[in-house]
Amino acid sequence: MKQAEESTRLVVGPFNRVEGDLEVRLDVVEARVRAAFVNATLFRGIERILEGRTPMDALVIAPRICGICSVSQSHAAALALAGLMGVEPAANGRVATNLILATENLADHLTHFHLFFMPDFARPDYAAYPWHDHVVRRFAALRGTAARSILQTRALLLHIMGILAGRWPHTLAIQPGGVSRGVEAQECMRMLTVLSGVRAALEEGLFGAPLEEVAALTDVEDLERWRSTGPEGDLRLFLRIAHDLELAQSGRSYDRFLSYGAYPGGLSADDGQRLWPAGVFAQGRVGALDIATVAEDHATSYMTDRARPNAPFDGSTVPDLNNRQGYSWCKAPRLSGQPCETGALARQLMAGHPLARAMVAQGGGNVMSRVVARLVESARLVMTMEGWVRMLVPGQPWCNVADGVPDGRAIGMTEAARGALGHWVQVENGRIARYQIVAPTTWNFSPRDGAGIPGPLEHALEGAVVREGERTPLSVQHIVRSFDPCMACTVH
Amino acid sequence: MAVLETFYDVMRRQGISRRSFVKYCSLTAAALGLGPEFVPQIAEAMETKPRTPVLWLHGLECTCCSESFIRAAHPLVKDVILSMISLDYDDTLMASAGHQAEAILDEVMEKYHGNYILAVEGNPPLNEDGMYCIIGGKPFVDQLRRVASGAKAVISWGSCASYGCVQAARPNPTQATPVHKVILDKPIIKVPGCPPIAEVMTGVITYMQTFDRLPELDRQGRPKMFYSQRIHDKCYRRPHFDAGQYVEAFDDEGARKGYCLYKVGCKGPTTYNACSTVRWNDGVSFPIQSGHGCIGCSEDGFWDKGSWYARLQDVSGFGIEASADKVGMAAAGVVGAGLAAHAAVSALTRARYKGDDV
Repeated sequence: MKQAEESTRLVVGPFNRVEGDLEVRLDVVEARVRAAFVNATLFRGIERILEGRTPMDALVIAPRICGICSVSQSHAAALALAGLMGVEPAANGRVATNLILATENLADHLTHFHLFFMPDFARPDYAAYPWHDHVVRRFAALRGTAARSILQTRALLLHIMGILAGRWPHTLAIQPGGVSRGVEAQECMRMLTVLSGVRAALEEGLFGAPLEEVAALTDVEDLERWRSTGPEGDLRLFLRIAHDLELAQSGRSYDRFLSYGAYPGGLSADDGQRLWPAGVFAQGRVGALDIATVAEDHATSYMTDRARPNAPFDGSTVPDLNNRQGYSWCKAPRLSGQPCETGALARQLMAGHPLARAMVAQGGGNVMSRVVARLVESARLVMTMEGWVRMLVPGQPWCNVADGVPDGRAIGMTEAARGALGHWVQVENGRIARYQIVAPTTWNFSPRDGAGIPGPLEHALEGAVVREGERTPLSVQHIVRSFDPCMACTVH
Repeated sequence: MAVLETFYDVMRRQGISRRSFVKYCSLTAAALGLGPEFVPQIAEAMETKPRTPVLWLHGLECTCCSESFIRAAHPLVKDVILSMISLDYDDTLMASAGHQAEAILDEVMEKYHGNYILAVEGNPPLNEDGMYCIIGGKPFVDQLRRVASGAKAVISWGSCASYGCVQAARPNPTQATPVHKVILDKPIIKVPGCPPIAEVMTGVITYMQTFDRLPELDRQGRPKMFYSQRIHDKCYRRPHFDAGQYVEAFDDEGARKGYCLYKVGCKGPTTYNACSTVRWNDGVSFPIQSGHGCIGCSEDGFWDKGSWYARLQDVSGFGIEASADKVGMAAAGVVGAGLAAHAAVSALTRARYKGDDV
């Protein structure tokens, strides 16, 4: 498919420092990306493997879709089963589940920023910038001081996982009615100690400021003013880089954002209301989410059932390499027929965080606003988790047990670090008849749909600058990584 | 990439202190089941012998194995692992991307031909000529064969590489295939677990560096020092099993008292791994400590043996004569009877296990 003008094709991949395998094909015209095709190159068929099994076994198999977001997968499975069983989690169980999930989400945000995203700015290509030496010292892949210290902070943070859930990755503690283990008062104290250690480390290294100060930033001018108040912290370093490289003008997509709402029971343990609500954000407004309008289009996927978009309850996952239009294992999820971006920025938009709203009002979803939202969310999460530990009541129930999973269907919706995650489960004759998973990176890295509309990343890459001689354009790498992709989840 | 560089050089450059290095050597000696007299030998090998390059490939997988050591392990072990692999090739963490990364792989393979260790995380899917997992435009199985051809030994890191794991569960849509069924002409060390314990990886590499040979393997190809005991043998809830005290449902009275999880599906009695001794996340805990049974994730076929929430006696092939209920009833009268019954059962099970395995 040669363009009429001089068009070059670049194939970028394998993509390192993303979770899983990814390849991106670029059509480049006059030093800019004209069209991008995102290809998830790995397929395992976990949905098929789930069919025919005992429903409860989803708690063991579904999380193994991904070693990064395994808790989110486990949470979605537990919520779907709880829906089928008509079980409400015990209050303590809700809070403990949120703590386990928040620990994973926070750990993911920290990994992304320090190990996957920032090392790109330590490349020799940026040697001319005044911040370059500093970035190399802090973030050079595997050697930087920030990378080393964040690994320690993260290992400390994961003690919470150890205390509440036994081990990580592939935790088993989250059940439909709560968690498998209750904790005692002294373990609550240990968790508070761990969180205060994490807080101290982040305030020192990442933020160079109290968490409250970062969480309270109100708009773009306020952010700029805050940056100038000191040299401390890697967030300020990033803001400086973002300013010099104009990252707020890079990687804009459709500006239509989706969140299923995060942390049920996050406000009060007694009901399932979510800490940050579900919704769709477009044109400056939050709209209600109609989950029934989610459908997956297989037009350009190596899958059968391409005649029309499939609602997940009628969905299928049958590989078909004979699709001439196909270029990815990833399906194309659409909400009311439209592609949506999901992630920390979407969550903070729904939550009404003023800085997130202001950044999007000014420049939409872009490399900078995605990264800033992730870090602001990290600060908010640590603060929230401290409150959750205090909500636990040792001695009270941790799990409401119900017997058996009746036939029926239910959706389990939660938020992984990288965005909206849903499990659509149908049980017949006591066995799983259908299990469809739509993961956050499936939304973000979706291929084209039947109408030829590109997925959010594909759209975001259009217009990216390709400099002379670049085979793996830096701008493309920044944009791809700004979504914090998880390819293992994308195609499961 | 100087040829004469040692592991010690690399570790020091990564900021690991001399003190930490010595501590690592003692921890590893202990983990390998070697006496303190071996600590100097290990240290000397790490200090004087040229570093064994480790190439790390990812096939069809979920990255949980990498995560297990980057995030979860003792900080020292994590540092050491990162020093061991970082200079060579690991696509999750390395700095370079795309063609540049592939070029590094070629360079290491050529330069250290016959001397490097290949660690494989995940496995190759063979259906559709390997199209389910494409690396750099080619099926992963090709890359695996190519890199394995020049390797001294292959470490199958995790249950996917060792046995297939959940992606190979019925109906195994991609025909995910463990490494040893594709690579037939190299020594293969299996380190199963979903995910496996990080300390096992450093232990194995350090052992090979020190003694210039593979660690002793059991009949399934697992390093004996880490896989010779069942979770059940060293489980801290074991006294409750022996006394016939069981959890019947999550969060019941027994759960609160920390009773044995056998009746809610624990597979500890048939699972060979070191979780109950080494533990997870800096030694904080392991699944049984979280009140959930062991799912047996380091055993071959754990994904297709029936529900994880059904107790073992319902699983064919497990030769327990007295059911947990009977042991419990006996124990209510005479604790000693329970103990004896269990000892007999353990011996029987072990015998059968070996019998199956030839």
